[in-house]
Amino acid sequence: MTDILLFRGIDEPGLATIDVYERRGGYKALRSALGQTPEALIDTLKGAGLRGRGGAGFNMGVKASFLPKGNIQKYVVCNADESEPGTFKDRELMQKNPHQLVEGLIIAAYAVGASKSFIYIRGEYGLQADMLDAAIGEAEAAGYLGDDILGSGFGLSLYVSRGAGAYICGEETGLLDSLEGKRGNPRLKPPFPANAGLFQGPTLINNVETLSTIPHIIEMGAEAYARIGVENSAGTKLVSISGNVQRPGNYEIELGMSSRDIVFGLAGGPPEGRSVKLWFPGGSSSPVLTADDLDLSYDFDTLAKAGSMLGSGAIIVVDDSNSVVDIALWTAKFYAHESCGKCTPCREGTTWTHTMLGRIKDGSATPMDLDIMASVQEHIIGNCLCVLGDAMAMPIASMIQKFRSEFEEYIETARARSEQALVAGAAR
Amino acid sequence: MPRPVVDLVTFTVDGREVTAPQNSMLVDAALQYGDIEIPVFCYERKIGPPVGACRMCLVEVEGVPKLQAGCATAVKDGMVVHTNTPRVKEAQEAVLEFLLINHPLDCPVCDKGGECPLQDKSFGWGGGISRFVEPKRHFEKPLALSPLIAIDRERCILCYRCVRFSQEVSEDYQLVLHDRGAHTFVGTFDGHPYVAPFSGNIIELCPVGALTSQAYRFRARPWDVEGGGSICTHCPTQCNVTFTVRDERVLRVMGRDNEAVDDGWLCDRGRFAYQAIHVDDRITQPLLRDGGALVPVTWERALEAAAAGLKRAGSDVGAVVGGATTNEEGHLLARLLREGLGSENIDSRPAGGPSTGVRTALAAPALQATIPDLEFAHAVLVLDTEPVDDAPVIDLRIRKGVRRGAVKLAVATSRPSSLDPNAEAVARFAPGAGEAFVAALDAALGGTGDLAELADRAGADADAVQAVADVLTGRDDARTHDDAPATRDVVILWGERLTAGERADHAGRNLLNVARHLDLGASRDGAGLLEIPAGGNNRGLREVGVLPAEGALDTAGIAAAAAEGRLPALYLLHTDPLLDLPDRSTWLRALDKASTVIAHAAFLTEGISEHATVVFPAESHAEKEGTMVNLDGRAQRLRRAIGRQGESRAEWQVLTDLAGRIGLARGPGQALRRAAGLPRGAWGM
Amino acid sequence: MTIDPSSVARYAGGSRIPGWDDSADLEKDPAVVPDPATTPVPDDLRAEIEAEMAKYPEPEAATIAALKAVQRRYGWCSPEGVVQAACVLQLTPGDLVGVGSFYDMLNMRPAGRNAIYVCTNISCSLCGAHDLFAAFQEHAGDDHDFQVKSFECLGACDIAPMASVNGQYVGPLDPADVPTLLQQLRDGQEPLPEKQLARRPSADPNARGSAS
Ligand SMILES: Cc1cc2nc3c(=O)[nH]c(=O)nc-3n(C[C@H](O)[C@H](O)[C@H](O)COP(=O)(O)O)c2cc1C
Ligand code: SF4
Ligand code: FES
Repeated sequence: MTDILLFRGIDEPGLATIDVYERRGGYKALRSALGQTPEALIDTLKGAGLRGRGGAGFNMGVKASFLPKGNIQKYVVCNADESEPGTFKDRELMQKNPHQLVEGLIIAAYAVGASKSFIYIRGEYGLQADMLDAAIGEAEAAGYLGDDILGSGFGLSLYVSRGAGAYICGEETGLLDSLEGKRGNPRLKPPFPANAGLFQGPTLINNVETLSTIPHIIEMGAEAYARIGVENSAGTKLVSISGNVQRPGNYEIELGMSSRDIVFGLAGGPPEGRSVKLWFPGGSSSPVLTADDLDLSYDFDTLAKAGSMLGSGAIIVVDDSNSVVDIALWTAKFYAHESCGKCTPCREGTTWTHTMLGRIKDGSATPMDLDIMASVQEHIIGNCLCVLGDAMAMPIASMIQKFRSEFEEYIETARARSEQALVAGAAR
Repeated sequence: MPRPVVDLVTFTVDGREVTAPQNSMLVDAALQYGDIEIPVFCYERKIGPPVGACRMCLVEVEGVPKLQAGCATAVKDGMVVHTNTPRVKEAQEAVLEFLLINHPLDCPVCDKGGECPLQDKSFGWGGGISRFVEPKRHFEKPLALSPLIAIDRERCILCYRCVRFSQEVSEDYQLVLHDRGAHTFVGTFDGHPYVAPFSGNIIELCPVGALTSQAYRFRARPWDVEGGGSICTHCPTQCNVTFTVRDERVLRVMGRDNEAVDDGWLCDRGRFAYQAIHVDDRITQPLLRDGGALVPVTWERALEAAAAGLKRAGSDVGAVVGGATTNEEGHLLARLLREGLGSENIDSRPAGGPSTGVRTALAAPALQATIPDLEFAHAVLVLDTEPVDDAPVIDLRIRKGVRRGAVKLAVATSRPSSLDPNAEAVARFAPGAGEAFVAALDAALGGTGDLAELADRAGADADAVQAVADVLTGRDDARTHDDAPATRDVVILWGERLTAGERADHAGRNLLNVARHLDLGASRDGAGLLEIPAGGNNRGLREVGVLPAEGALDTAGIAAAAAEGRLPALYLLHTDPLLDLPDRSTWLRALDKASTVIAHAAFLTEGISEHATVVFPAESHAEKEGTMVNLDGRAQRLRRAIGRQGESRAEWQVLTDLAGRIGLARGPGQALRRAAGLPRGAWGM
Repeated sequence: MTIDPSSVARYAGGSRIPGWDDSADLEKDPAVVPDPATTPVPDDLRAEIEAEMAKYPEPEAATIAALKAVQRRYGWCSPEGVVQAACVLQLTPGDLVGVGSFYDMLNMRPAGRNAIYVCTNISCSLCGAHDLFAAFQEHAGDDHDFQVKSFECLGACDIAPMASVNGQYVGPLDPADVPTLLQQLRDGQEPLPEKQLARRPSADPNARGSAS
């Protein structure tokens, strides 16, 4: 496979300091970028075909080109909320190589003409936020941040803003509200952040991994970067793999690798004697796939065609010792807990689904409930203010569809069990 | 900022071609121009921009794959919308099913029952069945949210209207959402009550029975009541209201949205003061002082006594008229005095005012701004008035303009104003030094005089005066430079007290100078002066001539003359000088000296109970017929919602009767017609 | 109307959501923006909040940071602390609690000094998180020095099952580790140093190989 980019030398001692980072060639890309016009940079980013790594997979350069030109207050915000279940790649990037992110962010800000920027990091990542704070301090001292960066006349301020525990703050408009010190409720779109984002100013929002990739693209050129990966999925991708695998962790892969090679080759597959029952290919919000889908190429389009998505690149493997009912219950519980409560279908639908699954577990459900549950998912999908509701409804619907008989069996046995218990209770 | 010019667009909704203003929201455009209702819960135009939260308004827009929120979709030319396809119906039924999951369905004991949007929408758009078999959430209810409002959290459907009102309209930011997701609930900080000048509006905004009026709870069902449209007379805004009436009792006051007046809001005074209508201590029959005490008498005796007293005094009578008086009543009393008794000593202003010339100049039609202008001006100056006290709903209008980022606000008052945080510039002057301040402001605008010296005389900071001037001229306003309009729309909202007292003429002339420097009179809409008169109908009363003639006694003059024993008879129409007017000690003496004190009053307040010799019962605003003029010159009609209390008679009738008894013979109908002819043909509205 | 809630069957479970059953205390004044003249704020708290305010074009953006500062100082977002923060920010205290109660890491009720967040999301649950959480509850559930919360994915599924202990990520944890860990906290020591995520190398073999 191609050489890796983002994780290159990630465990080198001291990489988080500016000395080591610069010794390894860090901040060269920034110098080179400041010598180019913003338009040229945006073209490079577009040409590289870098798709957003935060979940939606939108072409980063194209998004940057949406920001209005001209002398207005613009912002760049890095989405470091990383709370999609199963995802932990940004954590490692920020903790071990914060300067890579800072450099990428400065280049992006220069490209769109932003003079203020923020990294919104989930509150739980205290260590990572501290590392970023330290890196920013070093970058300021070295003249990479400030009023006049390296004599280019371009100025940028960068602060870390720490969240306080809410998944919805990963959704970009929820993030903006939270960054503004409010409840992290998503906003109506349009207007999109590129037009009216942070403090109503045009705002570019990108994921940590997306921004961390930028220095590499500048260094190697758009064409070389675009050659990595497969069509429509350029580059390398950090995959967080977890659940029932022997070697969980982050791996940097070339997009288009076989999913089987990731799950079995890199992560060692499920424990001895177990087999893959189902897997989430892109975080818990992605519809589940089964063992039959393991030979799919791991890239944006293939997974979408298979009815799921690459999402944040978080693979959760579930082996055959688990019941799909538990997986569904845990999934629904998460979204019910994290729904912001602003819109009806999500607030009520996630909670209702969670309650129904609870009844399936305790034996008070009937097969009819399965139909109701499936229909509730349909009523959520596409009807919410943001996609958090869909993010529960799609995987749950996929589980009902793919494991219907298992649900039905579970309902029957759980019913029988609870009836027996009732009879036994009455007899006593 | 001039009002935006709106283009019309044509779109299709359910096969019907509809033409509506561009950028209006689909739900508004479809209803208003196409008579097609798209159900909504969270959306309420008067609160502000849509939030798209409840998802009740989902519709199909051709060419857009997902269903769209009609409350948040601006209409565009050629847009094709469907509101009744199976897909839309399914979504509507789904949203209602979701909303009802945790709704207690306690409609039989809910105040909102029968006038509940949730009921109506469930009936009109719901699926009729629920598949939810889990137990519903139950919580203690009702709980107090404030002395006026009860909250029932089981019923809340989380539309956020109430919190948006508190945060984005009245900007008191006391009502907030707590927690998250399905646990979200409406509340305040640490159990503090929600007490704010406009809190009652949330009761009307709530689309379910979650927020109810403590005073109205369990008093009536919608089918027990009738609504009587009238106006509120508690301040010169004269918000348009509906009285909810059951068995001849006012049980509730609700807004009757008028964008030109109240913008759909009421203040808590206007909403809850009706409770004083039906109380035991109201005066409901004529009273006569007999051996030191006021005793109930027949109308005949009271009228005779009053007429006799007036006749005895002849032209030595003074009349003071309060702001709750209608144009007709004011006019009748003025005629009674002028034509019947030959006295010109009648005044409706609590502390005098400028001479006729200055007054007329200040009231010149070209110079007048309207209430909606406050929302669209480039800059607004609040001058010697506290809107939240003097005309509360105006406060909301100013906030709205500023909030939209369109209006730059300057505040110049003698005491801290609740609008200070919204203002770009704030200046303070010494109490009563409004006149000097305006002179300083005129200097700062390039007029005559030395700014430093004048500011000093006003007890104001010269820099602050200059800052106020700069806001008005737009010196620091980028927009003025950008589109460089030759003129800037400035509205000066000033309180009647600015032109009170001895230096009234100076104050008025200074204000006219300021207006001239800002070019406010240049016969254009959107800019000008807007006065907040001292009381409910004080503008109307001035316009129908309830003012002393040149050289006659004004309010203070009447007090002084009476105190010296020169006015044996006083006529107090809806005012108790000891409560409502300055200079209590003079008034005490005046009331003592006068041998005849005739009052129209609803309550035996100090001045009435101790000093009146004849008391006629006053009607409440829910019992009155007549017209009034609000602060921007709009003639509005008061309609009777309930019958008069006890033996009360219509006060215009009392005045006409009295006029007859002192020998002034002309029918009341004629008087009314004549009064009505004055302000924009008010009668028959 | 006076109802004794404990005597009404449907209220018997009590509110699952603290606050739902709370009535306003009509004796209190409305909670408006605190007046700096009458609201003493500790200097260091003020300095901390003002430093955060300086980062943003609009000072309200420091609300979450201000609440965290209050929580660090008082152990939770106490009404007293919230009023102080509101005074510095010139916002209503209601605004602050509305924001604070949205976020899982902010305690709107008194809470134990040591914050233990046990991840019970999918990946950790697949690896035994429920037993781990039960062990924490068993050993520290009643101890007022600890707040044990079941948390959603903490972004460390590579060390599942795991917990965040006063911000320090530790895992993979065995229920048997729990007493040791708690004792270390009681003794003021670092929790399970050898299991801290901070010290863990990357799983990617290429990352290790290509260092230079
Ligand atoms: C419910 C929800 C949660 C999200 N969480 C995250 C997140 O934790 N991190 C992230 O980078 N993007 C997250 N996203 C995606 C963002 O909305 C947004 O698309 C992304 O930050 C854009 O950056 P990118 O283009 O670089 O991917 C989330 C989206 C939704 C709907
Ligand atoms: S109390 Fe009423 S107005 Fe407030 S959110 Fe609930 S339903 Fe809406
Ligand atoms: S009315 Fe449109 S979402 Fe509520």
